Amino acid sequence: MTNALEITDLRKQYGDVEALKGVSLSVPEGSFFGLLGPNGAGKTTFINVLVGLVRASGGEASVFGHDVEDDYREARDRIGLAPQEFNVDRFFPIREVLEHKAGYHGVPPEEASRRADEALKEVGIWDKRDTRFDWLSGGMKRRFMLARALVTQPDLLILDEPTAGVDVQLRRDLWDLVTDLNDRGTTILLTTHYIEEAERLCDEVAILDAGEIVTIASPEELMDRGNDRIVVTLRDDAADLESVAASVRADDDRVDEVAAEDDRLVVTARQGGLVAPDLVRELDRAGHEILDLEIKRTSLEEVFVDLTRREESTDADDEGANSTGEGAEPAGEHAGSENTAADADGSEADDVDTNDAESEAEPLIGDGGSVGGSAGREGGR
Amino acid sequence: MAAEDSRVDLTGFLTLTKREILRFIRRPRNTFAPPFITNVLYFSVFGVILGQRVGTIADVPYILFILPGLIVLGAVSNSFENASFSIFHGRWNEYIHEVLTSPLSYTGMVWAYILSAATRGLLVGGLIAVIGWGIISGLYRPVPVAEPVYLLAFMVVITLLFASFGVIGGLVAHDFDDLTVMNQFILRPLVFFGAVFYSLEDLTPLLRDVSLLNPMVYMVNGVRFGFLGTAEVDPRFSLVVLSGLTAAVALVDVALFRRGYGLTD
Repeated sequence: MTNALEITDLRKQYGDVEALKGVSLSVPEGSFFGLLGPNGAGKTTFINVLVGLVRASGGEASVFGHDVEDDYREARDRIGLAPQEFNVDRFFPIREVLEHKAGYHGVPPEEASRRADEALKEVGIWDKRDTRFDWLSGGMKRRFMLARALVTQPDLLILDEPTAGVDVQLRRDLWDLVTDLNDRGTTILLTTHYIEEAERLCDEVAILDAGEIVTIASPEELMDRGNDRIVVTLRDDAADLESVAASVRADDDRVDEVAAEDDRLVVTARQGGLVAPDLVRELDRAGHEILDLEIKRTSLEEVFVDLTRREESTDADDEGANSTGEGAEPAGEHAGSENTAADADGSEADDVDTNDAESEAEPLIGDGGSVGGSAGREGGR
Repeated sequence: MAAEDSRVDLTGFLTLTKREILRFIRRPRNTFAPPFITNVLYFSVFGVILGQRVGTIADVPYILFILPGLIVLGAVSNSFENASFSIFHGRWNEYIHEVLTSPLSYTGMVWAYILSAATRGLLVGGLIAVIGWGIISGLYRPVPVAEPVYLLAFMVVITLLFASFGVIGGLVAHDFDDLTVMNQFILRPLVFFGAVFYSLEDLTPLLRDVSLLNPMVYMVNGVRFGFLGTAEVDPRFSLVVLSGLTAAVALVDVALFRRGYGLTD
């Protein structure tokens, strides 16, 4: 079976800045693939190479076996893209925008109209079909971006931060929709800051940092690489626990750290779920009475932060403190990988959510800033 | 596969052409009202008020003499402006990505922009012709078109040519001021010094030779030949040169799109 994506040593240079430093990966047909990375990691540059908005400086990229430059028409015909930015034709009602998009992909007018209605219904904004994009609320705009990607019935659906700035309900609706599409055979490439999203949806994730693939694995495999915390509360006093701690650490190489805190034994270990039964047996054998046992599984987010931080510190050691991709992506993404933790928390999105809440009450005239404004100002030429 | 590609390309091309035409057709206040008002003023001031003092040029009333030039002015500036604005506005707001990420060929994209912009130029040129014809008929007598085939051929070629230039303008512009500069400081002076309001015979030999370097002279002269049947430069030669130039500029457009100039990073 041909892979949906086959990427080999993909490079992109902007002047002195290397946005992509030899990215290689394969995305199997029908899979749900996540691309995680901090701001400026190169995710949007990577996607834009696939759809022809960025020209690679080196390497190869093919979509279902079609080279994105040599066979650009075949490659682009297979892709549906929902970009992060609202790059929508503001001159026409959204239904017509979808008809046009389908038409550019060779869909005849009648079929294009049918598909436009179908896509709008699928994302739940069909009743807004005669409205122009600027007059949609923030959440509706995000839904529309997905509808536009779907109207061409792509084999590969690329979603660049699809749930950035949307409320919880819409996020879950979008998750259901893309999961359903994936179940029906559409390959999904998802970039996201929301680690929970990747953990929940993706079969496999690649972590991209400063233009390089740090690792590719399933979310489960990645979480197995992180350290879980096993907290055992005992009836014994602290002095006894010190000796137990030393014993546990010596007996199991999966155990990274053991600490005695008052009446609790805190064990940090890989694959905590497997370590815990051995630990309980060991404690029981030593005559300790267990009052409580808690296993705190490492999250993908912790693994992600750990991996990207590790890269950062390695780069800092090698090249100096400011070499971790800050500004590594002049086009499209915010610079600075220092914001990883904040972004993972969705702090950027909170601001947008606030706007969205307001936007439900009145149309977002100003949303898109100069974009919508300029359409109004200059639209008469 | 080739047949499939052609079908996709034809449908995509027709869709983009339709989109581009609908964009200006649905805004008649912006598309047709300004040239209507401007040309009524031109004909009134230059044709009627000043024209009565000027009398005749090349044996025709002055208002009839300037009619072809004003048609050319309206047609080429609208062709240029439509293509340049549409492409630049799409770049500025990034919705041109809807087209660029589609399987439409670069040739299909370029010709959709050119043909739709030329259509606008032809419609505006036709509007100006109707205004001028109405005023002239009211003042003098109904004016027959001496060489309708030449007239149509020249109008088609010059609107295609300036639509093709407009594509380049839309790709090289960095902001809206650049578009204004191109239109106001390059296009309009060329038209005004293109023998719209005067005859080449009225110039000194040196100025006449310099004027012949201006491509507008051939366009105005060609359209004037279509209306009046008389020309200062051989219209067949003009038509061949302008057609060749149009083909060359359109090829440059396609090459720029293919290279992603102004469109891709």
